[in-house]
Amino acid sequence: MATQQQQSAIKGAKVLMVGAGGIGCELLKTLALSGFEDIHIIDMDTIEVSNLNRQFLFRRSHVGQSKAKVARDAVLRFRPHINIKSYHANVKNPEFDVDFFKQFDVVLNGLDNLDARRHVNRLCLAAEVPLVESGTTGFLGQVTVHIKGKTECYECQTKPTPKTYPVCTITSTPTKFVHCIVWAKDLLFAKLFGDKNQDNDLNVRSNNSASSSKETEDVFERAEDEDIEQYARKIYDHVFGSNIEVALSNEETWKNRRRPRPIYSKEVLPESLTQQNGSIQNSSVTDGDATVSAMSSLGLKNPQELWGLTQNSLVFVEALKLFFAKRKKEIGHLTFDKDDQLAVEVVTAAANIRAESFGIPLHSLFEAKGIAGNIVHAVATTNAIVAGLIVIEAIKVLNKDADKFRMTYCLEHPSRKMLLMPIEPYEPNPSCYVCSETPLVLEINTQKSKLRDLVDKIVKAKLGMNLPLIMHGASLLYEVGDDLDDIMVANYNANLEKSLSELPSPIVNGSILTVEDLQQELSCKINVKHREEFDEEKEPEGMVLSGWTPSPATNGESASTSNNDDAVDVTEISTGSENASKKRRLTEIQPDDHKKEAENVDSGDDDIMEIENPMMVSKKKKRVA
Amino acid sequence: MASGIARGRLTEERKSWRKNHPHGFVAKPETTNDGTVNLMIWHCTIPGKAGTDWEGGFFPLTMHFSEDYPSKPPKCKFPQGFFHPNVYPSGTVCLSILNEDYGWRPAITVKQILVGIQDLLDTPNPADPAQTDGYHLFCQDPVEYKKRVKLQSKQYPPIV
Repeated sequence: MATQQQQSAIKGAKVLMVGAGGIGCELLKTLALSGFEDIHIIDMDTIEVSNLNRQFLFRRSHVGQSKAKVARDAVLRFRPHINIKSYHANVKNPEFDVDFFKQFDVVLNGLDNLDARRHVNRLCLAAEVPLVESGTTGFLGQVTVHIKGKTECYECQTKPTPKTYPVCTITSTPTKFVHCIVWAKDLLFAKLFGDKNQDNDLNVRSNNSASSSKETEDVFERAEDEDIEQYARKIYDHVFGSNIEVALSNEETWKNRRRPRPIYSKEVLPESLTQQNGSIQNSSVTDGDATVSAMSSLGLKNPQELWGLTQNSLVFVEALKLFFAKRKKEIGHLTFDKDDQLAVEVVTAAANIRAESFGIPLHSLFEAKGIAGNIVHAVATTNAIVAGLIVIEAIKVLNKDADKFRMTYCLEHPSRKMLLMPIEPYEPNPSCYVCSETPLVLEINTQKSKLRDLVDKIVKAKLGMNLPLIMHGASLLYEVGDDLDDIMVANYNANLEKSLSELPSPIVNGSILTVEDLQQELSCKINVKHREEFDEEKEPEGMVLSGWTPSPATNGESASTSNNDDAVDVTEISTGSENASKKRRLTEIQPDDHKKEAENVDSGDDDIMEIENPMMVSKKKKRVA
Repeated sequence: MASGIARGRLTEERKSWRKNHPHGFVAKPETTNDGTVNLMIWHCTIPGKAGTDWEGGFFPLTMHFSEDYPSKPPKCKFPQGFFHPNVYPSGTVCLSILNEDYGWRPAITVKQILVGIQDLLDTPNPADPAQTDGYHLFCQDPVEYKKRVKLQSKQYPPIV
């Protein structure tokens, strides 16, 4: 139960919730029931049928409406006297600027993507408003507290990003079902139905080997009068049959690997399918695009059923036929979409046939769809737990109980009989690009001032740089030095004479520039503010730099690379042994400033290690780096 | 929103390269027609090693960095149809250090990648063929293979 002091802090608090989805519904309810009385919610999404199983503030009749608004209305029904304001908008919209964020005592994130999280993190840092950040993935979840200068910010550590697979594994040597899915989705599906001009490594045959390439190119082109079933079988035989045979001829590849089995349509399918149930001629489906389904025209009902090779082959051929018969117009500009039933069918069937060929266990359409669409099924309980944890941390923030802040991880399996793992927050990473330095502010007329003025009056005169590099986002605007080639020099000299707003990557009000020096270990961020007029007497330079102290320059030690100047033997790198990397992790896991809980985590069992490792490892990257 | 980590690292790579780089190699951010210099795409040149059939060739290579760099390696591409057993028809180079699951480590520099690819030119890895043409000739017809390599090296003379 909250103390009196806590109660009054809660009552007087103004909080911003970003996201009114899985976590958001739980959070809004818990906030309202905990006594919060002034809550603002931003969410750009509308309610979908698939949300209803867990986003319990929504009902079927709300489908299509704003999540933020419906969530507000639902909670007001049982807490009519509190103030809830909803915004059906993207949190990245310019209206939600630093001043907007400044009005809140704490910001609570229940977001589903990295981009928006980074954005909110930066605004909270700029507005100096505490942020409680959260996320769930199935049974896993976490809640973290970010307060500028006290704890690390959301971007102090790199986040593990979705896994990508090496092209060699996908095209030639799959060992897991997911490799077959990636092949079916990114190579085969793209080749069959996507943009013809895209690069595609489906065939490992060279384009310039004259005769054979002609053949392979033509396989995927369907002649106008070519029978659809014949075409589908030709594709089938090509990708599952002859391509595998070609691969098998590379003996070296299979020395230490299981050899795949080529599969041809005539081995698994009857001579002609047109007499069977599945033929499109007697299918009742008409041109209702999204409803076209090979499963239904074949009489397959259960997406969770495991199909054998024959069924997958039937689905493959049928789905191809349906694409050409019913959705011909889309061919050439389709990309895989997990909500496109026919696309999921093609990908499932193709992945399964390939899996069979490589001796990999087959999967149901439901499972395949999950893998192809990167779907982790949400668990309502995890969302509820996480929402509760957010409120607990928010109350500590409001009470300024900095010693009690915890990052809490929800685990899938208990560790030391605990499902929740609390850890004391880390201090800000001194080399974090986002929170480590306070940017300088430059007031300047972006239409009149030239880049040359900026370089001479600010970068050289004030910041004392010698060989500066000026960047705007990923775009280099200026470099200088004897090593540059003529083309680059000419390009940069042209930039010098342009006004800031005319540059290839225009500098306007709100732009953030990064200025570094080739030799000095100095890096600054400059926030640009456009100003029309300057007082000629008081501000003769026509620009004003603030937030800058001329004394010892901030040692902007940028997270960067180990500048190993000697060309290191590359073979040594590629064989970096497992042991070495393990050792690195262990030493990394025990930095001296680690608190008790963190050490528990270190010596804890594998379950926790799995969660912790990506963060620890990434931390390492940054420090070494 | 773009991650600052990739850009920060690429700035460091750029600075480090400008200060010192192996002879004959070129690596620089792409400059588009409107004068934009994009740090996320680098145009490089790899010289064929002296004393090999690749000598005399200056092979253009493009590096595409993602926002996840350096957690993930850059994608390295020769021109489409480049003749080499470990280069895909699209030009994508298949090399362990460029593979997130095997040899890639975030500490590997642009310089090391380029030197690694230069090594790969004359020492193809027959266990990971990426194109039929180059692979078959390499395994079955060394004379023709040599001829093709030399021919290709002539097709990429030094840019003066």
